[in-house]
Amino acid sequence: MVARAEVARAPVRGLSRLAAVRPAAPSLVFLLERTAAEDRTAFSALYAATSAKLYGIILRILRRRDIADEILQEVYVQIWERAAYYDAAKGAPITWMVAIARNRALDEVRRKSPISIEDTPEVMSMSGEEEHPLDRVAKSQELARLNGCLEALDSNRRELVLLAYREGMSREALGRRFSRPPATIKSWLRRSLLQLRDCLGHDRA
Amino acid sequence: MTERDEIDVLAGEYVLGTLDAAERAAADAARRRNPALEAAIVAWEARLQPLADAVAPVEAPSPLQGKVAAMLPVAQLAPRLALERYALRWRRAAIAASALAACLLLAIAVRELSPRPAGATYVAVLQKDDASPAFLLTVDLDTRVLNVRPVAAGSTAGKSYQLWIAMENQGGVPQSLGLIETPGAVTQRPLARFDRASVERATFGISLEPAGGSPTGRPTGPAFHARLIRTAG
Repeated sequence: MVARAEVARAPVRGLSRLAAVRPAAPSLVFLLERTAAEDRTAFSALYAATSAKLYGIILRILRRRDIADEILQEVYVQIWERAAYYDAAKGAPITWMVAIARNRALDEVRRKSPISIEDTPEVMSMSGEEEHPLDRVAKSQELARLNGCLEALDSNRRELVLLAYREGMSREALGRRFSRPPATIKSWLRRSLLQLRDCLGHDRA
Repeated sequence: MTERDEIDVLAGEYVLGTLDAAERAAADAARRRNPALEAAIVAWEARLQPLADAVAPVEAPSPLQGKVAAMLPVAQLAPRLALERYALRWRRAAIAASALAACLLLAIAVRELSPRPAGATYVAVLQKDDASPAFLLTVDLDTRVLNVRPVAAGSTAGKSYQLWIAMENQGGVPQSLGLIETPGAVTQRPLARFDRASVERATFGISLEPAGGSPTGRPTGPAFHARLIRTAG
């Protein structure tokens, strides 16, 4: 086992003598810049690097693969078309791309008749199991912080926020879920959002 | 509630996704006119991003038939994410590396899912950091032809970029694949003398050398490198 690991590392070491190596995330900026310049190779690399993440998010909201496939295509068409408008000062590339994906998926799910409540899975634990190992390294601090603020909400408010964000549930669906009228859900959302904002800070743009 | 609170709640519901179709449409229009709302939306996107990061990735369908395919350089391309294994491997590499140079690196491997007679194309990006020269490298594994296209790689007076390949079964010693002659043009190199499996697992590197190439036959200048990773499954 040790010997195999040595062999596997050998070629890396050959060149690494000259280069310390850091993780990949910063270069999404580069790939987006090249995509803005209509560089198709860069775009395919961008697709390879990000499509599993965006697809996971879209599928979670839309549930149906046939619809999710279509929406994913549209999302990458939008990314191709709007890459030039990405502004690094306003956030990380992946945040920008996730926003495009979620907005497109949410537009779709709001346009359709609401998904039946029977389809709604239990809200899943936010701890480790769902995390992508790569994200865990880079994002653990931010997740821990958000988790801490979510923990400070009443337990059903925390679930409310998670169901809304991850499953894309409407106020009506949330109302059925919690056996409350939509107006109550609206006021829960309002208070939860303000509490979260105050916990996380006003200036995190 | 203050006006600020109203904006933050609207933006928060917009990002959470709890607005109905009409409210979403109204918010979409309003954010274009109202910079405060736009900023509040962007702030919520950043605050809640860790929740998106915690959603499990799902392998995306091939863009082969879709609208995206038209934008890709190789129609048969079916990219798969190999970042996770890649990151672990390169973290080990980083630990092993000396502190001679601080280089960023990105390598993404894509591969064809179904075996085809042609077009088993791999892509890797060789780049130090976002502000530095970068090279997009594609390899067709069937024909074993390598293309390197410099992007944002300016001319370097008195220096040459040199391309390297290092393979496990040859002790991992970098072998020169020659110089990248003109920044801006595609450099093509045959890899036919190497077998397919070796190329697939090889490490590719580019180093900045004195004009005419490394005097020692080994990389001597600042280098960055990437690997075409075979994805699991």
